[in-house]
Amino acid sequence: MREFTDGSTAIVRGALAAGCTFFAGYPITPASPILMTMMRELPKVGGVAIQAEDEISAVGMCIGATMAGARTMTATSGPGISLYSENIGLAVMGEVPLVVVDVQRLGPATGGATTVGQGDVQFVRWGTAGGYPVIVLAPSSIPECYSLTMRAFDLAERFRCPVFLLTDKELNYTMNTVELDEYQDVPVRERGAGSEGPGMPKTQDSMGLFAPYRYHPPDGVPPMVHFGQDVVLRFTGSTHDERAFITKHPPTVDALNRHLAAKIEEHRDEIELVTADLEPGARTLLLSYGVTARAMREAVQKARGGGQKVSALTIHSLWPTPETAIETALDGVERVVVAELNLGQYRREIERIAHGCEVLGINRVDGELISPDQFLEVIR
Amino acid sequence: MITLAEPIKVKDWKSDVKPIWCPGCGDYGVLNSLLKALSDLKLDPDHVAIASGIGCSGRFPAFVNAYGFHGVHGRALPLATGIKTANPELTVFAVGGDGDAFSIGGGHLPHAARRNVDVTYVVMDNEIYGLTKGQPSPTSPIGMERKASPYGTYDAPLNPIAMVLSYGASFVARGFSSQPRELTELIKRGVQHQGFSFIQVMSPCVTFFDTYAYFKEITAPMPESHDPSDRMAAMQLALERTQYLGVFYEDNRPPHHVHMEELQEKAGNHLTLEKLLERFQR
Ligand SMILES: Cc1ncc(C[n+]2csc(CCOP(=O)(O)OP(=O)(O)O)c2C)c(N)n1
Ligand code: SF4
Ligand SMILES: [Mg+2]
Repeated sequence: MREFTDGSTAIVRGALAAGCTFFAGYPITPASPILMTMMRELPKVGGVAIQAEDEISAVGMCIGATMAGARTMTATSGPGISLYSENIGLAVMGEVPLVVVDVQRLGPATGGATTVGQGDVQFVRWGTAGGYPVIVLAPSSIPECYSLTMRAFDLAERFRCPVFLLTDKELNYTMNTVELDEYQDVPVRERGAGSEGPGMPKTQDSMGLFAPYRYHPPDGVPPMVHFGQDVVLRFTGSTHDERAFITKHPPTVDALNRHLAAKIEEHRDEIELVTADLEPGARTLLLSYGVTARAMREAVQKARGGGQKVSALTIHSLWPTPETAIETALDGVERVVVAELNLGQYRREIERIAHGCEVLGINRVDGELISPDQFLEVIR
Repeated sequence: MITLAEPIKVKDWKSDVKPIWCPGCGDYGVLNSLLKALSDLKLDPDHVAIASGIGCSGRFPAFVNAYGFHGVHGRALPLATGIKTANPELTVFAVGGDGDAFSIGGGHLPHAARRNVDVTYVVMDNEIYGLTKGQPSPTSPIGMERKASPYGTYDAPLNPIAMVLSYGASFVARGFSSQPRELTELIKRGVQHQGFSFIQVMSPCVTFFDTYAYFKEITAPMPESHDPSDRMAAMQLALERTQYLGVFYEDNRPPHHVHMEELQEKAGNHLTLEKLLERFQR
């Protein structure tokens, strides 16, 4: 069985399959189809979708809904992410599972509203004050829109943090024929099944008092408890102790801030997701993500058809950077070519990792896609 | 509204965190009135959630033995909307200051009102920014001289009651922190009202703008003849110089979460026995 569909539809399906029960968004091209499909589909399964008054409200409602027990998602584009910024920080600080879809468009400000771009790669990573890590996944095909949405929900539960799904106008809008068996389900863990496992939501501190933000060791994730679970729970965006009371006690403050980073940074192996198509003897590694990876895969086929050796790496988990997979792929090649629809944002990360290997870029910001031919030109 | 057979005493509604407000701050009166209302209504702490923004008044949730959500500046209403929508069994409050409600968060107020989210919004209006040490707020009088306005302000103050009436809020009231008995009754009525309840509470900031004497002079009880179903009359009273204390307006259209259930039915999600049971068990 096959169907003619687009990435937006696949994302909504993935969200529903993951048990999403609440969505709030504000119309913006090219993310509006997700809002509209959610408004149509979510009530059918007993969920609620809200068209909020602005993006600040949309993400705020999602955070509130998560804290009251819902599985939540929101979707926007660059200008909306700008408005999400402060509440993304709130979700990081309050350790709130939340899936945020950024359907990228080109340029700063209104930019090219109907034009494809990949310029938010660093923005989503560093998009809130303080610089704490978030998880960012990037699908490169319609079936991946489905499976990575499910994965985003799972990682949000696992690490209690906002997880971004970074897509683009092209992937979300362009209809393609997809084989139904290409859609792969990803198991999504239960609420409360953090690193300490389910069944111990009523975590206590040393005095026997309920401590919803107790984590141990530093990279552990406190089991999620939400409002309505028969134990009085507080939440604050301020620096807090394990009972969620505001504190300035330096050791507590230090431990909390390190914990927020460690719980993600020290579990890269659980997050890392790439497609490595490595050919022994290849001197060039092509590296890309999102819609650009489609052209890359096409170029690899062509090059190999013509007898050329080439390796390719598609990054699906952009943040934290999948360093192990990248290092493995870099082993033995002379140059890596990073292709993206911006002026070299992810290339910076590769330069950081690629010692003694030439790092080149294929970059486009004219609103057109990088073509397979552009890849073929750089293979040597 | 989920209630208990026996009320929880006011002292048990207090958390073990002592408020850190300045002695004499109006917010103490608001807190005590709210705690008394929770007790009088026989509410269950496991079914009460309080969302706030940032400000002196925003510290509120930490002092109450209920689910508390201390978010970011101006965004209490989106949080409260999300909480109520995801779990309609909770009795949900939003609390905050005049800056939180009418300045940075002013864009959310009309929409919470027209959606008729079943949330009781208690705004502690001290006509100043307390937490950031005394800058003028959107309700400050013209001519206020502060460090942030050394030559006096020229911007006219907002009229929150008139504003919220025109937004179509289904419950609009004003109280005064120095009249705890009346304020408790207003909060109780706000909670019992199914839909968006807006309560402006005059709550002086003794440290940066001591308005006790001024509020006493300018406030008066709501005229007994006022009929709260008469929106025109409510608007008339809201526009007078005298700041009336009591319920300006109330109508009983269905709240947002009831509409959402209706919408789910329309979309084809029929309540099965299983779902009803699931709800019951929650
Ligand atoms: C985005 C953002 N901008 C500014 C601030 C600083 N800030 C904190 S509270 C506040 C105003 C408080 O005034 P009000 O809401 O009236 O509350 P009050 O302290 O008077 O109770 C400001 C400007 C902030 N926390 N966040
Ligand atoms: S500064 Fe003003 S508003 Fe803040 S606690 Fe003190 S008296 Fe109250
Ligand atoms: Mg104030």
